[in-house]
Amino acid sequence: MTSDRKIKANRVNAQISTGPKTYHGRARSAKNAFRHGLSLPIESDQALCEEVQGLARQIAGQRASAHIEILARRVAETQIDLRRVRYARHRLVSDALVNPYYESRADTRAKIRVIKQLLTPKLTDIPLPAFIEKYLITTPEGPAKLATILSEEMKQLVAMDRYERRALSRRKFAIRALDEARRRR
Amino acid sequence: MRKKSKSQSKSHSASKAVTRHSLFGPPPILEGEDAAAYDELFGRVCAAIKPVDVIDEMFVADVVASEWEFLRWSRLKLSLIRARALEALERFLPEKLDYDLYREHFEDELTTTLQDNLAEDQTEDFAQTLAHECARNDPEAVDKVNEILAGIDLNMDHILNRAQAQKAEELTQQYVRHEPGAVKLINELLATASVSIETLTVEALRAKELDYIERIDRLATIAESRRNASLHEIDRRRPVLGETLRRSVQEAEDREFKVIDTTPAKGRNAA
Repeated sequence: MTSDRKIKANRVNAQISTGPKTYHGRARSAKNAFRHGLSLPIESDQALCEEVQGLARQIAGQRASAHIEILARRVAETQIDLRRVRYARHRLVSDALVNPYYESRADTRAKIRVIKQLLTPKLTDIPLPAFIEKYLITTPEGPAKLATILSEEMKQLVAMDRYERRALSRRKFAIRALDEARRRR
Repeated sequence: MRKKSKSQSKSHSASKAVTRHSLFGPPPILEGEDAAAYDELFGRVCAAIKPVDVIDEMFVADVVASEWEFLRWSRLKLSLIRARALEALERFLPEKLDYDLYREHFEDELTTTLQDNLAEDQTEDFAQTLAHECARNDPEAVDKVNEILAGIDLNMDHILNRAQAQKAEELTQQYVRHEPGAVKLINELLATASVSIETLTVEALRAKELDYIERIDRLATIAESRRNASLHEIDRRRPVLGETLRRSVQEAEDREFKVIDTTPAKGRNAA
């Protein structure tokens, strides 16, 4: 059981540390939970809103009724949302692919373990064997690199896929509603 | 009619690309992929589907992006399997090769080793001649070579293994390029050992790679089903579009041609 003394000390310490205090620190910690921003609604971004308007006008066409305009706007929103999700997914893979030092987290940990061992006093005087040097500086390339990226980022890719699936479904029904309205006109 | 100049058509396609870019985002091309091949695929799908409105264009972009992804994942899977198959082949071949097949490699390897470790009074030609005779199994030359190799902490097997490995690598590369001689030889060696390239590949695939392949397959399946879903939506929209188009044409015609008043001639001045 935690002693009273410890509880008291914890409470005092908690009072001392209440997170970042500076403006920049607070701004940074405010983004701690931010992952990809895909759950944010389109309306929260002015630039995207303008794109939605432009696309909605193109979809509705000239002399469209108010009802068609509303339905066209829904289609435009889902399309822009879909584009946003796809772009985020593409960036995730493409940024990792252009990173020359990219490797799996397990490989990085293994290399750090090797480096730590090499830095022990017993081994610092011994010249580094060529195969160890090669192992330390080699990172996956070509198809192996892409496969590693997929494996490493799978969790995020699956999460993004869920967003894409939802966006696709919303767009499908929005388009069907628009088509139906046009058919009945 | 005046023909469009090259620069006009270029600027037209460029502006189309800009519109496409703003509507559907940048093309999903990764580093090392062929942007021209993507554009070609886009063009072919566009020509086949003939989009008639913005929504159709959205579906075309979807079909192309999904197809591109599907091709990418299929290619990746194939590359991983092929790389493993070639490694397995390189490991399988050395011990199956007849000495005659890698004798030249042995001679070259031995010549290099001897030249690097010549006594001061010996010439480079001496190393070459000795290696040549040794490769032809001349007993005196073999003894001499063994003596030299022992002096530098090497033995004949070491040189033979290196020559075998080199020949195996060379044959594997030729096999990749589908060179008939290499393909025939490797197929014969595989048949003699009662194995196939598929067996070697499966045995060589590690759990890590199988895991990769499973994930890649999953992504390929998603891309394929999305492409099919987009094609299905295009199919579904065709009758609707047909009807909309008919109505648009009708409206345009109505605007163009006013209905002629067919009031009877009653009350009008007869001729």
